[in-house]
Amino acid sequence: MAVASAVAYRPPRLARKRTRQAVLVWCFLAPSLAIFLLYRIIPLLWNVVLSFADWAPLRTIRWAGLDQYEEMLHDDVFWEALWNTLLFIASAPVGIVIALGLALLVSSEIRGRDVYRTIIFISYPLMTVAVAIIWRWLFDERVGLINYVARSLHLVDRPIQFLNSFVWALPSVIVANIWQMLGFYMIILLTGLQNIPPNLYEAAAIDGANARRRFWRITLPLLKPSLFLCIVIGMLNSFTSFDLVYVMTGGGPGRATELLVTYIYKLGFSQTRFDYAAAVTIVFFALLVAIAWMANRLSGGNAGAVETD
Amino acid sequence: MKRRTILQAALAGAAAVAVPHASRAQTARKLSYLTWNIADQEQLFKEEFADFRSANPGVEIEWLDKKGTELPAFYQTQLVAGTAPDVVDLQGAIWVEYAANGGLLDLTPYLKKEPEVAKLFNPDYLASWQYQGKNYMLPFYIAKTLLYYNKTLFKEAELSAPPSTFDELLSYAQKMAKGEKTGLLTLNFDWLYWPLFKMNGIELLTPDMKKAAFNTPQMAAVLDRLAKATDSGAINKIYWTGRWVEPNGAFAGNTVGMLHAHSSSYFFVKGQGSWINESTLGVAQAPGYWATPTNHGFGISKSTKNPDLAWAFLKHVTGTKWATRFSQSRKLLTGNIAADRAGLEYLRKDDPLGAQVLQTQLEHTDKFTGNWPLPFDAQLKDAFYPEIQNAVLGRKSAKAALTDAERAVNRVLSRNS
Repeated sequence: MAVASAVAYRPPRLARKRTRQAVLVWCFLAPSLAIFLLYRIIPLLWNVVLSFADWAPLRTIRWAGLDQYEEMLHDDVFWEALWNTLLFIASAPVGIVIALGLALLVSSEIRGRDVYRTIIFISYPLMTVAVAIIWRWLFDERVGLINYVARSLHLVDRPIQFLNSFVWALPSVIVANIWQMLGFYMIILLTGLQNIPPNLYEAAAIDGANARRRFWRITLPLLKPSLFLCIVIGMLNSFTSFDLVYVMTGGGPGRATELLVTYIYKLGFSQTRFDYAAAVTIVFFALLVAIAWMANRLSGGNAGAVETD
Repeated sequence: MKRRTILQAALAGAAAVAVPHASRAQTARKLSYLTWNIADQEQLFKEEFADFRSANPGVEIEWLDKKGTELPAFYQTQLVAGTAPDVVDLQGAIWVEYAANGGLLDLTPYLKKEPEVAKLFNPDYLASWQYQGKNYMLPFYIAKTLLYYNKTLFKEAELSAPPSTFDELLSYAQKMAKGEKTGLLTLNFDWLYWPLFKMNGIELLTPDMKKAAFNTPQMAAVLDRLAKATDSGAINKIYWTGRWVEPNGAFAGNTVGMLHAHSSSYFFVKGQGSWINESTLGVAQAPGYWATPTNHGFGISKSTKNPDLAWAFLKHVTGTKWATRFSQSRKLLTGNIAADRAGLEYLRKDDPLGAQVLQTQLEHTDKFTGNWPLPFDAQLKDAFYPEIQNAVLGRKSAKAALTDAERAVNRVLSRNS
């Protein structure tokens, strides 16, 4: 008891200093918190309200209960957009595997590896809209490089309408997305690779482990935090790839490349159905949280953490 | 001391609040003017504004131009905030939604008060801005669909004149399809493809616009024929999926026999296709003379604080003097009868083929289709077209696609009834 009261007791000067410090900290935090509250929390709450309402610009708001959510159950476009979004998310690991190969390659003792690293990374800082335009031209059926090469090599007789085809449109957009993220994944994985102590490889080599065993037993387990960080970021990025899809295909042809995020935009700004768009956004948000939580759980709750010992 | 500081702060605050009010009062005769993707006309607009200011001293005009995809979102936000631009340029059917929800000022009383204004315009184009008997817009520039045809490919296929029926349209397309060459393309945004169905007697909705009316054996037969023609290569697949650049670009590539598009396409195609001249490109009305208009018009936001001034400005920019200048500068038609006459005269000397294209825009204006004045037009389009794509591209049978489209369209109609 005496010990407890001794711990609780603080000299008045120290307590005042602590209070001043706390005030200062809150003062520094306040602008960021205000912006976060204003631009994230309040819109999110308003979105929740809107999802249970019947509202459009210039119309009075009316309580609609679960009508919007009920409509979602019968909305074929919503399900198609959800399926496409899940396919898009599922493509993230493909990019990570390619990036891992590239990271292993550029971390080895090859000549000009810094140049290769720069070339691979350069796609990431590019604006997504620029990436979309580049790939739109690459896939173009009349003047696109891919069709030109395919026809020059007599692989196809007629140009493939990549972005106008129900079959090819989604894979084409996924390719562009993977290309853009490749540099980012590679840098994360490269950092992870460089954090692996070289003595582990030396000891394994002395014990007679070949390169394959060293990769499976040392590299991959120790890269786990970096890999999961890539997976989490890759999934979140795929989930919100609005600009890429919007510029490359606009969600078409038909609904072939419609993602939830492009569908929400169209509902809101083309069809002026902000209430239904809000309901879809809530479902979208819940999915996003669930996927991020699941990915983090799979990584042991420490995605991106640096192993210190 | 402390009290003085509080007083000073209070005074400063009051001044900060009062100054914008004072400045607003000084610029009470200010007009904001929002146009849609026409920033290239800056010089002309500046001259127009100067002319307007000389007749209306003290008026300040703030001009803002937004790109195609940006304007609706921008204008909507401004409407909700109650700060919408006084005069706005809107395209297609988007205005109906704003008019129906009280965002736009009804211009009918002004037109009744000054009947000479309405007489300036082509009545069919002016009527296309009516919703529930009220006129909400004045024409800024106008266009409707027509049929372009490649005379060289026609000659190769031993065809002498453009098609005059749907059967001819498909059979001509089939005759020209060979190797990489295809027979027909259309633009497909904003119901621009609808004349194809209308020429077969198909209606989208019942006359009271309460139910879908297109799910008929006739429509299924038309879709089946279009699907077969697409599969055989007579119709270019981009027909159904491409937006603006792709179909126009494909036609400019000199490998497509016919392009169903509006007059604006001519200038895009001409810019890309070096083969285009009077002896290689023909222009005609689509079979049955049906055409879908796709116009730009000017309206006044209901939130305007200066409705009379905005109306005066509207008359100014759509009046014969400036509409003529605009028509000549942009090589288009404005809906203003005298301005279009002068614009065409000018273009006949400068670009005779362009003049032929624009001439089609003034003919058969009583045969507009695909321009239903519905406030939920965008929802309707979104419910209908993807199913049509499914049918013509062979993803669903015509019957199944029509059933799904009918269900989706009726859902939109009942939701908005």
